[in-house]
Amino acid sequence: MAKLAGVFASSHAPLIIRGWKDVKPANQRELTSSLTELGRRIKAAKPDVLIEIAPDHWVNFFINNLPSICVGMGEEHEGPAEPWMKDCPFKKITGHPKLANHILQTALERDFEPSVSHHLTLDHGFCIPLWRGGLDPLPPIVPIIINDLEPPYPSVRRCLQWGTMLAEAVRTYPEDIRVALLATGGLSHSIGEPTMGEIDEPFDRECIRHFEKGDERPLIDFLNERLPTIGNGAAEIRNWVAAHGAAGKRGFELIGYCNCPEVYVGCGFASWDVAARA
Amino acid sequence: MRDYWLSKLFFDLQSSPALGDEYRASRKKILDRYPLKPEVRTAVERDDVAFLASRVNPYLLRFYFVVAGMSEADFLKKVRTAGADAAARSSHG
Repeated sequence: MAKLAGVFASSHAPLIIRGWKDVKPANQRELTSSLTELGRRIKAAKPDVLIEIAPDHWVNFFINNLPSICVGMGEEHEGPAEPWMKDCPFKKITGHPKLANHILQTALERDFEPSVSHHLTLDHGFCIPLWRGGLDPLPPIVPIIINDLEPPYPSVRRCLQWGTMLAEAVRTYPEDIRVALLATGGLSHSIGEPTMGEIDEPFDRECIRHFEKGDERPLIDFLNERLPTIGNGAAEIRNWVAAHGAAGKRGFELIGYCNCPEVYVGCGFASWDVAARA
Repeated sequence: MRDYWLSKLFFDLQSSPALGDEYRASRKKILDRYPLKPEVRTAVERDDVAFLASRVNPYLLRFYFVVAGMSEADFLKKVRTAGADAAARSSHG
């Protein structure tokens, strides 16, 4: 049977790439340090496959067809299409159809009906943490897109359950492989809104405290109450919630947090100690 | 509510660098391909951020004005003003 070897989360602010020269040196050092440590921990988990959860920034989907959750089961995926990601080393990204199919089967048995894609383009949301975390060469990736961009969003509760289901799918996968999970997005930021550029560090810190405590109900209540009141980018914390569910709702450890106005994002990086699972 | 064809225009422009080049060369030529409502087309032609902001996803709005060549400082100023105007309208019932 497969083993869940690690669970991780990371911000993916585009300006880490296309505005890096304008980031203050102290913030550059902090972001580099956190992304390097994130990459080190992922590599230390020795994953044979990486499940990666990220939003789609209007690359694969549009409002004529907008799945809440999509599982990528292709043999291969495209690297990022954004012109400013042209130096990203990942042009083609190998998938893992067998694990993806097992995830889909498990999801259907657990009353989820996700969308399916046999060929996704993995935008900066997927690729910045992999690139800046130094994960080259990449393990095969099962990409999962959660709609964090355009309301209505899947509920926080459902995202937690989705993560719990992913852990079950890994545990029941009938090959002896190591699987890690990386969720990307958040923490607080606002894009294209009147509040663009605002970072709500108190919200981010409280959010982190909820992940550290681990309890399901307070985390869900906090996010249900606060997400509608702050910038749209924080909707991506749903992906962290899915990771929290996969980790069994315990073992959260903050790698680093950087309130970085130059990239418009309260950047967070974390891992969950999956050995802490019951 | 989302304006579908406005959203489609913005989506297409951010998906295709070549279309973005064409658009910067001749907005009219590209706009003629989309069945935009007259008031929506006028807002696009006037870079009316406040009008457009209420009709498209904010990420698409931001991408669009990058493609259209508006500076980041100008966009930030306009989108923040749009928010202040909306708040003022709301407080006046």
